[in-house]
Amino acid sequence: MNENMIVTIEFLGTQRILAGADSIETPITARSRVRDALEYVIDKYPQLKLDKDTALVVVNQQLALRDQILKDSDTISFVPFISGG
Amino acid sequence: MEIVRQIKYKPARVAGGYTDRLLKIDLGSREIAVEKLAPDFKDKYTGGRGYALKAIWDGTTGETRYDSPENILVMASGPLGNEPGFPGTGKFIVGTISPMTGTFIDSNVGGHFGPLLKLAGFDALAVTGISEEEVVILIDGDARTIAIAEAPGYDEETDDGALSFGDRLLKDLNNGEYSDCLAAVSAGKGALHARYGLIHSLYYDIRRRRIRAKQAGRGGTGTVMRAKKLKSIVVRSSLSKANGNKPVDKKGVRAAGRALKQVIAKADPTQLHLSAWGTTILSEYMDKFHIFPVDNYQYGQSPDSAKLFAHVFLDNYFSHRMPDGCYYGCNLACAKGAENVGLTRGPAAGRKVSVDGPEYETVGAVCCMGIFDPQFVMEYNWYCDEYGLDVISTGVTISFFMECFERGYLSAEDIGYELNFGDIAAADRCLHEIAGGRGFGKVAGQGVARGKTWVAKKYAARNKASQDEVMAELSKFGMEVKGLEFSMYVTKESLAQQGGYGLALKGPQHDEAWLIFIDQVYQELPTLEDKAAALKWFPLIRTWFNATGLCKLHWIDVRNPEAVATDEPSKNLPTLAHYIDYLNATTGSRKSLQDILDDSERLYILQKLINLRQGKGTRESDQIPLRAMAPAFFNEYQSRAEYYDLWLGQNGGVKKLPASPRQRHKLLIERRKRDYQQLCDAVYEKKGFTPEGIPRRETVARFGLLDKQASRLLDEMGA
Repeated sequence: MNENMIVTIEFLGTQRILAGADSIETPITARSRVRDALEYVIDKYPQLKLDKDTALVVVNQQLALRDQILKDSDTISFVPFISGG
Repeated sequence: MEIVRQIKYKPARVAGGYTDRLLKIDLGSREIAVEKLAPDFKDKYTGGRGYALKAIWDGTTGETRYDSPENILVMASGPLGNEPGFPGTGKFIVGTISPMTGTFIDSNVGGHFGPLLKLAGFDALAVTGISEEEVVILIDGDARTIAIAEAPGYDEETDDGALSFGDRLLKDLNNGEYSDCLAAVSAGKGALHARYGLIHSLYYDIRRRRIRAKQAGRGGTGTVMRAKKLKSIVVRSSLSKANGNKPVDKKGVRAAGRALKQVIAKADPTQLHLSAWGTTILSEYMDKFHIFPVDNYQYGQSPDSAKLFAHVFLDNYFSHRMPDGCYYGCNLACAKGAENVGLTRGPAAGRKVSVDGPEYETVGAVCCMGIFDPQFVMEYNWYCDEYGLDVISTGVTISFFMECFERGYLSAEDIGYELNFGDIAAADRCLHEIAGGRGFGKVAGQGVARGKTWVAKKYAARNKASQDEVMAELSKFGMEVKGLEFSMYVTKESLAQQGGYGLALKGPQHDEAWLIFIDQVYQELPTLEDKAAALKWFPLIRTWFNATGLCKLHWIDVRNPEAVATDEPSKNLPTLAHYIDYLNATTGSRKSLQDILDDSERLYILQKLINLRQGKGTRESDQIPLRAMAPAFFNEYQSRAEYYDLWLGQNGGVKKLPASPRQRHKLLIERRKRDYQQLCDAVYEKKGFTPEGIPRRETVARFGLLDKQASRLLDEMGA
């Protein structure tokens, strides 16, 4: 791991309560992908019940594919399905 | 209570979800009639919104206004309402000619009124005429009587309050005790003075041991009710709610209900968790994606937004561990509430009250006024409810005038005080003036569309300016379409949702198409063709929910895990399959998804015909304010300049950006305007309309709607 590269993982809504934090920071490498961040969170916070296949991952407010390479200072969050009332 | 007219009747029993009876009450002539509906009526018009549309189409004309005696106030559940074995079946709709739009409006609302009306023997209730004095209607399925009675007088505070009056009436009619065998609708003092008065659905919550309220909030249904001098309608039935629909296949209903409840129980806690947080949870997600309507939709985010996030209400106001469904059998249970909330402002300051809410829309309305105080949200919620005012139109209208004041279109002399974004005291004052029809409230109570005209006249006269030019400027940020205020979502970055609002037949309320996340965040509608297809499909399926007596949230806000494997996850088809099973088990039909879409399209076209007849049906009426599609003013552009510049390159087809930010802003506006017109073209084509937004004759004929009135109307329209 290159400790100079850090991403922020934000917990929104219910996730904040379940994770017990607003956000965490975690180091990444130059080859880290969205998939790695998701698996990291699934492993560390099983109570969030994120599904590795179906969870919607957003990086810097843009929907991200699993293969997307992460960059230093990216902000990652996991968005539930919302389709309005 | 003095009965002025009463009839005896024999309540029809429900079979397969229907009673096939319509209750008609004329408050002018005091006639009360029970009409047996033709056997094929339900096949063509389904229920709920469909019954209301048919009544309005046949019973009113292009000259009918909201306060015309012939205007009809329709309340109807639907064949799938009233089944505790299936979640979300307490819904009914209120439909009428709107004081806001001048055309058909319907608003769906939960509670017990719809189910009890059906148990009392009626699929729908249609009220016409104007009473000479204030009255209430009493429908008693137990006593087998229907009565018009003089509205009882208690004390001024109770008589004025939509909540207080209905609460007292429900108690008085049951020997001083609350009961879940009674439910009511009521309208309050605000509806006497504002065009956006609402109708409450009041029901007894056996867990909280008090009367609770849900709202048919949009479009001024309460204003119509009070224009008829009708203060409340109470319905009573002691018949068992369980198995109340007498379904054709009881086991099938149970199986469908069980399957949906399992999906909700499994998926909701890992998604929005509406069962714990209610719809306030949406605030955080809207803010995150620039959709929170801060300062009259200028900005989608604010550094102060977190003060209004769900956990604030959960920690400080909501009653915990309370299953808060608005009807039996709902395990989504999103109807959150708070007890013993101390009021610090207004005429009831010092009282402790129960608050039903806030919902997301209430929170959004308060942030729209630039206010980020959760205590004010609670008080605004309660006062709007007690006055019987729509929280959305009230908030958006005050926000519009705040912006008029800040941009110099209005002065403190015009209003009577300074009205700035974020000024709680001023917003609070304006709210009470609206409810009482006092001071500037007389203007604000008319809504944004009429407010624009008032401001334009005043400003143009004072500054010797062209009224048309002033109006054009005001229309950039006056957030209304067809006369109805927008609900609480910023649409600048979602073309599909711009259409979801602009093309919505009733005006910009999200219950016809809420595509903003599907489009902007999930990016499941990448092409114009995708967006146009969604703008046909979603309004149709949502129409079906409003015709059948069902809540949509279980389908739309809890995505079935199995949906991910389908071609179009946003349609949540695995969950819809449970609804179709439920429909077929209840009524004995064998309908497919396409069948119910076809049923809905008939209703959709009928609503479009009414809009055409009332002068709100063509392309011109589908145009949206500039702010709904782009940053209307330079300050909005500046707040996200980097993003907008990137958008111009990636989505706007601009290879070389203009040098100056003001030129880039201008170019952005041009691109967004172009995109919206292209979207209109694509959607009209998809729906079988002309480029002017008029249904083609063959489209109307295909659904059996080409009667004499429709044919004449289309002739006049040249279609």
